Amino acid sequence: MATRRIISSEKTILDQDDHDGSGPAADQKSNISPAVPMDVIVKLLVFTLAMIVVPIGSYFATVNTLFKGNSTFAGALAAVMANVVLIAYVVVAYKEDQSDQLDPKKKEGKKDL
Amino acid sequence: MEDHPSAPDFAPFFGMAGIAAAMIFGSIGAAYGTAKSGIGIAGVGTFRPDLIMKVPPSHTQCLIPVVMSGIIAVYSLVISVLIAEDMNPPGPTRYSLFNGFMHLACGISVGMTGLAAGYCIGVVGDKGVRAYMEQSRVFVGMVLILIFGEVLGLYGLIVALILNTKAKG
Repeated sequence: MATRRIISSEKTILDQDDHDGSGPAADQKSNISPAVPMDVIVKLLVFTLAMIVVPIGSYFATVNTLFKGNSTFAGALAAVMANVVLIAYVVVAYKEDQSDQLDPKKKEGKKDL
Repeated sequence: MEDHPSAPDFAPFFGMAGIAAAMIFGSIGAAYGTAKSGIGIAGVGTFRPDLIMKVPPSHTQCLIPVVMSGIIAVYSLVISVLIAEDMNPPGPTRYSLFNGFMHLACGISVGMTGLAAGYCIGVVGDKGVRAYMEQSRVFVGMVLILIFGEVLGLYGLIVALILNTKAKG
């Protein structure tokens, strides 16, 4: 009887708060950096805008000036410009791929040294 | 009322049907490609990148199928604008039945090839992005297959442009 536990002073798991340094995940660092870097967002916005503006804009800019009313050539130019935007996008994505693969290798090499 | 055997009153119906077919079918293809490859991107997002792969796929690379689907819609838009410029309200020059059928062929050719290309881009984009998550060397092959799928829509656009010039002359 002398070692009776005082139950009322213990907290259930629902009452426990995460104090600093006592929670289960307190020793782990949370990754609070933004999931999508700013330059990627800018890149996507630029390409989205280019995708909307460039084909239509090139059509209406050249149909009466460069091609003198021949709308077929102007339409073909619009399709070509859309593909130019696409190729530029693929090139940018491919370069990003290479830089992603090169960077970890550099880090690993530094660790070994 | 005069009788025009080669340019009846219902001839513009076929030209307008061509405009609608180009835009509707092309947009269906582009929407399928965007949605299906978007499912693939979302599937990549549910994995924990730090456990599965050493090099996480970047957002720019995952979005290549979506951009290509957008180009399909641009093809349809170009043909729709071209056909719409050739059509005028009833006036002194009558819209011939030949032009109507030719514009209908324009619209259906660019619309249906856009549907095919969008379907191809959707399936390849979905599986390709998921495979790229586990093996980054798949990237070049995925982009090549996507381009070959995209070219199907481009062929339809070329045929539609040629048909459109014939309808003018």
